[in-house]
Amino acid sequence: MSMVKVEDVHKQFGDLQVLKGINFEVNPKEVVCIIGPSGSGKSTMLRCINRLERITSGKIYVEDELTENRMNGKTVEKIDPQKLANLCLDIGMVFQNFNLFPHLTVLENVTIGPTVVKKENAKITEEHAMELLEKVGMADRKDEYPARLSGGQQQRVAIARALAMNPKVMLFDEPTSALDPELVGEVLQTMKELAQEGMTMIIVTHEIGFAREVADRVIFMDDGVICEEGRPQDILLNPKEDRTKEFLNKIL
Amino acid sequence: MLTSAQWTAVWDGTLITLEITAFAIVVGCLLGVVLALGRLSKHRILRALSWFYIWFFRGTPLLLQLFMVYYAIPIIYLESTGSQLNIDPMVCAFITFSLNTTAYLAEIIRAGIESIPGGQMEAAKAIGMTYGQAMRKIIIPQTYKRLIAPVGNELVMLLKDTSLVSSIALSDLLRTTKTMANASGNWLYYLYAAAIYLFLTTLLQLGTDRLEIKLGAYEKR
Repeated sequence: MSMVKVEDVHKQFGDLQVLKGINFEVNPKEVVCIIGPSGSGKSTMLRCINRLERITSGKIYVEDELTENRMNGKTVEKIDPQKLANLCLDIGMVFQNFNLFPHLTVLENVTIGPTVVKKENAKITEEHAMELLEKVGMADRKDEYPARLSGGQQQRVAIARALAMNPKVMLFDEPTSALDPELVGEVLQTMKELAQEGMTMIIVTHEIGFAREVADRVIFMDDGVICEEGRPQDILLNPKEDRTKEFLNKIL
Repeated sequence: MLTSAQWTAVWDGTLITLEITAFAIVVGCLLGVVLALGRLSKHRILRALSWFYIWFFRGTPLLLQLFMVYYAIPIIYLESTGSQLNIDPMVCAFITFSLNTTAYLAEIIRAGIESIPGGQMEAAKAIGMTYGQAMRKIIIPQTYKRLIAPVGNELVMLLKDTSLVSSIALSDLLRTTKTMANASGNWLYYLYAAAIYLFLTTLLQLGTDRLEIKLGAYEKR
């Protein structure tokens, strides 16, 4: 079984080809880091998996169930909306700009998903939320509003918010890119713990050190295609492709 | 000084002014949200209908709309059904002011919704919310603070504009004092109206100022 499978995915914004035939598969408990230059389509690829963007053509599977099958911008195979909604609930996402809900407290940010979407019992939801906040080290700030937190703290709350829906796979879209350098570590530490617990993770990142340490596999994307993929030590230390070498030389 | 009978008349007039204002603002907010969502809809027909509504009610004078409801509708009714229709002027005022305010509030609410960063809707969808859930729980609550100032503006305008109902024979605050001024030849009666309008708009302003601070508390660092 694969957690996420992407088959020949193309994405076009107007005349701009952002993804030009992407294929990859992520297995349960696997941690995959996607690296590559700006504009290479990494974030778009990630956003297509949970349908924040609709692909132009190709297929996407979540837990071996088809969630997208499109051709030239039109849906080929219609998926039962209820089934689709359930599959989407298995995908959690963390954004570059955190996107916490500013009008809700830290605790409410974490509980709103389960209460509104799953109509869960308030007491159980809150207990679960507190456990998650404990885990990301934010339990003592549960009644604060996001505006009063640092970027690193906001991102940790955002991780707890995503985890509250009990996802089976977590997508991270450059989770540390908007952070001050001294705040990056705490977020990466939280993500590392999550990986160690066996969460399936797909991470778009520029943190090469983190990728080397935590990833099971690294995918290097450039100009809408996957140039190279493999074990972190191979891709990051001994890349074969010139484009990978060039990119790594620039950022290291 | 006013006699006690005159005070009663002024009080009754003030009540009419307040009733129309309150009715219109409540209906306007409710319909305004619907219309704002229509303007932002993916469906072209909904967008066009909402646009048309707003275009019409903002583009024609309020007094004209009042006349149309009061005079034109009974005539159209008579022409098409052959029977008389007597509309209570108060009902006309309720209808006209609600419809008119809706158009303005819809645009205010639409701008409020559009001012919320797109990442909020994405984050709501990423935790599985539907469009409706995201609007109700995430997007619209964040607009409240931003809506207070422009809605307060609209409310103050509305309160003063209700004086137009004197033209359809409703004895609101302004018309009541006008009658007194005309009967006595003493224009000072108008000062009572001015003072009461000012008093009411001051209350509204103080109220909206406080509400704005309260609703924006979460933005404080």
